[in-house]
Amino acid sequence: MGFIEADNLRKQFDPPRGVIAVDGVSFAIEAGEIYSLLGPNGAGKTTVISILSCLLRPTEGDARVGGNSVVHQAAAVKSLIGMVPQDIALYMDLSARENLVFWGKMYGMVGAELNRRVDEVLELIDLKDRQRERVDKYSGGMKRRVNIGVALLHRPQALYLDEPTVGIDPQSRRAILDAILEFRNQGMTILYTTHYMAEAQELSDRIGIMDHGRMIAEGTHEELVRIVGEDAHVQLSVDRNLEALMNVWPTLDGVGTVSAENGKITLLVHDATSTLPYLFETAQREGARITEISVMEPNLEMVFLHLTGRALRD
Amino acid sequence: MIVRKIIAIALKDVTSTYRNVTALVMMLAAPLALAALLGLAFGGNDSGYSVPITRVAFVNQDEGRDSTRGPIALGTLLCDILHSPDLKNLLAITVFTSPADARASVDKGKAAVAVVIPPDFTASITSPDPSATSSIILYADPTQTLGPAIVRGITQEVADAFNGSRAVSAVMLHLAADAGPPPGQNGPNSNVTTEDMEKIILQTTSAYIQATQEEGFSGTTARGPQVDHQAKDPGIEGLVLSGMMVFFMFIGGANIARSIIDEDAQGTLPRLFTTPTRRSVILGGKMVSVFLTVLTQAIILLLAGGLLFGIDWGGVVPVALLTLNTALVSAGLAVFLVSLMKTPAQAGAITSGVFVTLALLGGNFVGSMPIGGLFSTIRRLTPNGWLLEGWDKVLRGAEAHDILLQLSVAMAFAAVTFVAGSLIFRRRFS
Ligand SMILES: Nc1ncnc2c1ncn2[C@@H]1O[C@H](COP(=O)(O)OP(=O)(O)O)[C@@H](O)[C@H]1O
Ligand SMILES: [Mg+2]
Repeated sequence: MGFIEADNLRKQFDPPRGVIAVDGVSFAIEAGEIYSLLGPNGAGKTTVISILSCLLRPTEGDARVGGNSVVHQAAAVKSLIGMVPQDIALYMDLSARENLVFWGKMYGMVGAELNRRVDEVLELIDLKDRQRERVDKYSGGMKRRVNIGVALLHRPQALYLDEPTVGIDPQSRRAILDAILEFRNQGMTILYTTHYMAEAQELSDRIGIMDHGRMIAEGTHEELVRIVGEDAHVQLSVDRNLEALMNVWPTLDGVGTVSAENGKITLLVHDATSTLPYLFETAQREGARITEISVMEPNLEMVFLHLTGRALRD
Repeated sequence: MIVRKIIAIALKDVTSTYRNVTALVMMLAAPLALAALLGLAFGGNDSGYSVPITRVAFVNQDEGRDSTRGPIALGTLLCDILHSPDLKNLLAITVFTSPADARASVDKGKAAVAVVIPPDFTASITSPDPSATSSIILYADPTQTLGPAIVRGITQEVADAFNGSRAVSAVMLHLAADAGPPPGQNGPNSNVTTEDMEKIILQTTSAYIQATQEEGFSGTTARGPQVDHQAKDPGIEGLVLSGMMVFFMFIGGANIARSIIDEDAQGTLPRLFTTPTRRSVILGGKMVSVFLTVLTQAIILLLAGGLLFGIDWGGVVPVALLTLNTALVSAGLAVFLVSLMKTPAQAGAITSGVFVTLALLGGNFVGSMPIGGLFSTIRRLTPNGWLLEGWDKVLRGAEAHDILLQLSVAMAFAAVTFVAGSLIFRRRFS
């Protein structure tokens, strides 16, 4: 049994005619696991996370967090979870410290315990030095860190992060991803949403791919990649004799389909490392030169393309 | 825990507001600056409007008459009224014995107006014969306008009062006659005689004289409310600032109430809903925020008015009650109006429009003084009109029991809007 279990969640805004943002989504997240919801904008990720944090009531279905129903035992669920919203939700005219103290009170913390915990969190998000400055004076990355810090105050068992790295510099992103891995190592259960394939791949123990309100695939990274097979995509351009090469390459060992579009050739190959030398060799023999080449190992991007016929980033 | 959370939300909002320069200007600087400007425009001396004193040459030839209650002399009464303390800032009376001397005084420019009471003044007013008339003679310096107008107004009013008492007596008699004779008597009107009528006229007139002497003459001051027996001078700044204060408290309240919609749009309200805090507590905290913000706004404005303009707001208890009431009305109205709005921009535009309209109808921009007539009826349709009536009275020295009506109407308005607004918000965010 998972620590977080979504059971056939459905959410329609403004029924009966409104958008169906989530359409029968089920999944389970084990305690101590990082689970990512991956999908393009509008897939329904935020809606799922809102239902799991008792912010939105599902039109149908239910979910349990630590055994408590999000519909019927919202109070219990809320004290188990920390929620990091997609958009920064802080009071801009208060300082980082004032924000943390205020939100701590909203989680029912008081007095010395609250102050101690605020100090710890400020340390954790590395804002001790500038804790008394107003949040609207901070950089995007600093705001993001405070936004996350708020959700950590009451030491939640589960942490939800809704696209926490959107629009920040690579250094801050790295720091946030490292922190999340650290939280997991300390035993927190983490639900993460993103539309960045690489983040999902790096962080997650398991990934759910969402599109148009549905869960279209679910599993570990390896399991998901197997959906598109083991083949790598090799894309290249040559300076001449394209036709001749199009006839030769499919006959090589380890090469699957070959297709050409706008002067670019795409080959599916079982093992890019051993096949590439032969591609150069045959090209030379035909009197052509490879002017450009790229290799794409199978990844979630390709899985999404394979399942939906669209690229992940649209 | 619930109370703690409500306080935390309210404190957070009050802190935010008082850190926001624009909000501070709207809440505190604007009303004070406008009050200072208007105070200057109206002369700004401590007695308010500076109307020059009118010199009056007064001749009383009234012979009076006797009645069962003793001698009656309405001319003397009019003389007393013109000498009353209420009018000492307006009129300087010199008594002459002959009308010719009084006129000469006006001609020489020593008096602006002469008033001559004719010998038969009392006799004709108390006569049962409706055709009996008598005229007070006013002789005015044609180059003067304001002074003679004031004197004419006052004498006219007194004369009307006398005529009124005669008319009332006559009506009473006719009513008694129409009701028919008491059992055991015959014929219509058989019990009403000219003597009876005269007797009643004399009685009502002397009763009127007595009332006037006991309570002071209150019909002629420029302001209406009947608290004048302990009246204090409100001062123009007090009247203007109370109007500005009520207006800008409405705006201040709406700004904080709008933060509910702002917070919804900015995501902090949804985030609050993900904490283990009940929605009713969160919305309750916001309501308390609105109330506390306008309350502190009122206290600061009252203190600033006292320190900067030397305004004496009135008794501590009535001022405290009225301040609390004004804050409740501002908060209630703000919560109600904002509960009907969808977006922050909409809330900003529509509430300002509503408040300006209310202020024009309720009289915020003319200070709190009652203007009278249709206007005083219209202003009572607005919550700010009632509040301003209360402030006007308190500024003139009214006690809490004098403004119970104003307080009750304001409280009722605050309660209705507050409850309605809260219910709408609850439904919206559930
Ligand atoms: N409050 C709302 N009212 C109506 N439609 C909404 C609302 N929130 C989201 N949607 C719609 O629901 C769909 C899913 O949105 P969302 O859950 O935010 O997707 P994601 O987080 O994956 O980008 C979108 O089509 C979006 O326009
Ligand atoms: Mg989203």
